[in-house]
Amino acid sequence: MTGVAALRASAMSDPAARGRATSLVLGLVVLWPLLVIAEFKPAAIFEAQNLKTMAGFLAAFLPPETGQEFLVYLGRATLETLAIATAGIVLAFALAMPLALLTTRVLSVAEIGPGPGRRRAQALHYLLRAVLTVLRGIPELVWALVFVRVFGLGPAAGVLALALTYGGMLAKVYAEILESGDTRPARAILEAGGSRLQALLYGLLPGTAQELTSYTVYRWECAVRASVVMGFVGAGGLGQLMDQAMKMLNGGEASTILLTFLALVLAADALSGFLRRQVGEAGTGGRRSGIGSVGVLLGLAGAAAAAISFVYLGIGFGALLTLESLRSIGDFTASFFPPDLSPQWLSRVGYGVIETLAISAVGTLLAVVGGVVLALPASGRYGLAAEQFARFFLNTLRSVPELVWATLTALSVGLGPFAGVLALALHTTGVLGRLFAEALQNAPPQPRDALRDAGAQPAAAFLYGTLPEVAPQWLAYALYRWEMNIRMAAILGFVGAGGLGQLLYFELSLFHYAQACTVIVAMLLLSIAVDAASAGARRRLA
Amino acid sequence: MSFNIENASLTHANGFVALSGITLSAAAGERVAIIGPSGAGKTTLLRLLGAALRPTTGGLSLLGRDPWALPVGELRSLRARIGVVHQAPPLPQRQRVVTAVLAGRLGQWPLWKSIASLLYPLDIAGARAVLARLDLGDRLFDRCDRISGGQLQRVGLARVLYQQPDLMLADEPVSALDPSLARQTVRTLIADAEARGATLVASLHAVDLALAEFARIVGIKDGRIAFDLPAAEVSEVLLRDLYASECAGAAELPTLANEPRFAAHVVDAGPVTQGARCR
Repeated sequence: MTGVAALRASAMSDPAARGRATSLVLGLVVLWPLLVIAEFKPAAIFEAQNLKTMAGFLAAFLPPETGQEFLVYLGRATLETLAIATAGIVLAFALAMPLALLTTRVLSVAEIGPGPGRRRAQALHYLLRAVLTVLRGIPELVWALVFVRVFGLGPAAGVLALALTYGGMLAKVYAEILESGDTRPARAILEAGGSRLQALLYGLLPGTAQELTSYTVYRWECAVRASVVMGFVGAGGLGQLMDQAMKMLNGGEASTILLTFLALVLAADALSGFLRRQVGEAGTGGRRSGIGSVGVLLGLAGAAAAAISFVYLGIGFGALLTLESLRSIGDFTASFFPPDLSPQWLSRVGYGVIETLAISAVGTLLAVVGGVVLALPASGRYGLAAEQFARFFLNTLRSVPELVWATLTALSVGLGPFAGVLALALHTTGVLGRLFAEALQNAPPQPRDALRDAGAQPAAAFLYGTLPEVAPQWLAYALYRWEMNIRMAAILGFVGAGGLGQLLYFELSLFHYAQACTVIVAMLLLSIAVDAASAGARRRLA
Repeated sequence: MSFNIENASLTHANGFVALSGITLSAAAGERVAIIGPSGAGKTTLLRLLGAALRPTTGGLSLLGRDPWALPVGELRSLRARIGVVHQAPPLPQRQRVVTAVLAGRLGQWPLWKSIASLLYPLDIAGARAVLARLDLGDRLFDRCDRISGGQLQRVGLARVLYQQPDLMLADEPVSALDPSLARQTVRTLIADAEARGATLVASLHAVDLALAEFARIVGIKDGRIAFDLPAAEVSEVLLRDLYASECAGAAELPTLANEPRFAAHVVDAGPVTQGARCR
């Protein structure tokens, strides 16, 4: 035993106590200003005036609007939402494929040797990676908000916004997937004089096609959820209808639209799960053709869905690409530069960043509490009835997008960051509750059972036997959701829930493009910083 | 009477008969070793005594009470007086040794104390004292996934020593320890039971250890009691008969010296590996 260990072992006090106390104090010291900045005032929910507005609105939810004229509108908007998501993914794929091909290191001939033109290839590589970072670092809703000003209200802005952000995401993840597997076959083809595309088709795709397809389908599911809210900035679909209903305080219509949201999100969930299972089972070998008949059928169905989507939306891409419209796009883009970098504006944007962080942190914290409270019954600890009810409740919470929650909470507690906090908390509770419950069900039961057999109360057995097993997982989930919530908090302001989004929305509606540009750059930097921080944290935890 | 089992049988949900017609009792302060081939029902018998499994038929009384006739609260306080040393210590990976040991008294502590002790261990001296008796005093603040399998098994033992139960049940408590440490550890258990007048029932794989340290030996085979005798009266013939099917034709009985050990988690081996134990 070393001297230090002996000293430590003979200590009659807990050596970890000082560290714990310090983190507790530090946590409180950081939390307090966060609560102040996020304008955390739970009492606002229960103010008589607010309760009355909310109660009146919610009372109108029943019965949901079922007028024939409205249902026709609703049907059209639903189809439009699906078409926006599908067309957006198709364009994103078209954008991502060449970008992924060019940014995948293992497909670069110049890397071999290193061969001639390596320097140029590397410069191109870094340039393209930077382009990807910008594309996916700016949220799709911000692109949509900007595009609405160029292409007018309607689905075109939504489709293009999805294409850019999702194109950036797909390209990055495609490149990661391509580089994660066995890269020697691709290398061998390049060394045998094959081209980049040949190396991809014969060297990398056989090993990664399933994962690539599966991820694309998953992204389509995300795109459906994203296009549901696209309408809040005027880019078509269900969101636009919801926005109108909220502004008119039409509870009946709002409840019908919300129910449609739920159905649509759950259906997209189920369809995407089904497709991904099909992909997982496909390609088990023994066939003469490269893909089986099911694969061909699904591929044809996908292509048909894409074609129908473009026809249904009827976006005149030809008209968008005329010289005249290109010039107006150029003029519009130029009006954003140079960004406003005056100290006054920078300090306001800086406060916006801090407010965004505060909203996301407090919202996630509340969601952790809510998630734990609901995960306990949802894991089946209190019987089947409680489990089913808790699961239904969690599904409802997470099926409603954050932005929709924000329109409701803004009505309840007024515009401002606290509405954003509540919106994030509600949606994230649904997500975390489900994940927490899964972790509880997967935790080994022996430690808990042993304590119960030794006469411990159920609560004590949980604290000493189960909590230590699930706590690291819970923490990882919470941090991951916090990361996503920082991005989300940046755009919740579009419906008046504080943060950078509110600043951007305001400046854009005043045609202050230079100021808006600064905010967009701030969002981009925030996103990059969060990316880097989470990558660093993951490396340390691993 | 510390416990009394009368003609108890236990059939698992899958139809497997683990115990049949068991009648066994022990006076307070008695020390009993249970031996027998793997799969004979030793663990099931101990779980029956720990009120963790309910007999399918037959009567059971533990510390003077019938556990399955008690209301929830009283069953809990009865269980708090019974301590179980598990073969694979059921300790959370990331829990600290001190917390794992203190958890032994959760059945006696009120809830507020259990919660407070998670924030700051409330009885560091007590935990250290029991760990010191097992040569582990210096691992007090280590995490359970940072210590060896043998040390982890002794942490499980320390938890039960800290619990100070009236009925102590040990299921292969030294299976992950080397011979001399195994002997020393079993003596620590016996000394603790002796000092407090507690009853000790331990299942052991090493026949020589059981015969040397325990006054009363119960042999179990195929879910039935084969013999129940003072250690001095257990003959070589009886032992050969007990392990007959396991070591068909083999000369050696499982002892401290020839048993495969140093496996951190010797979980119920099952019939497949039975032959492997015989060499």
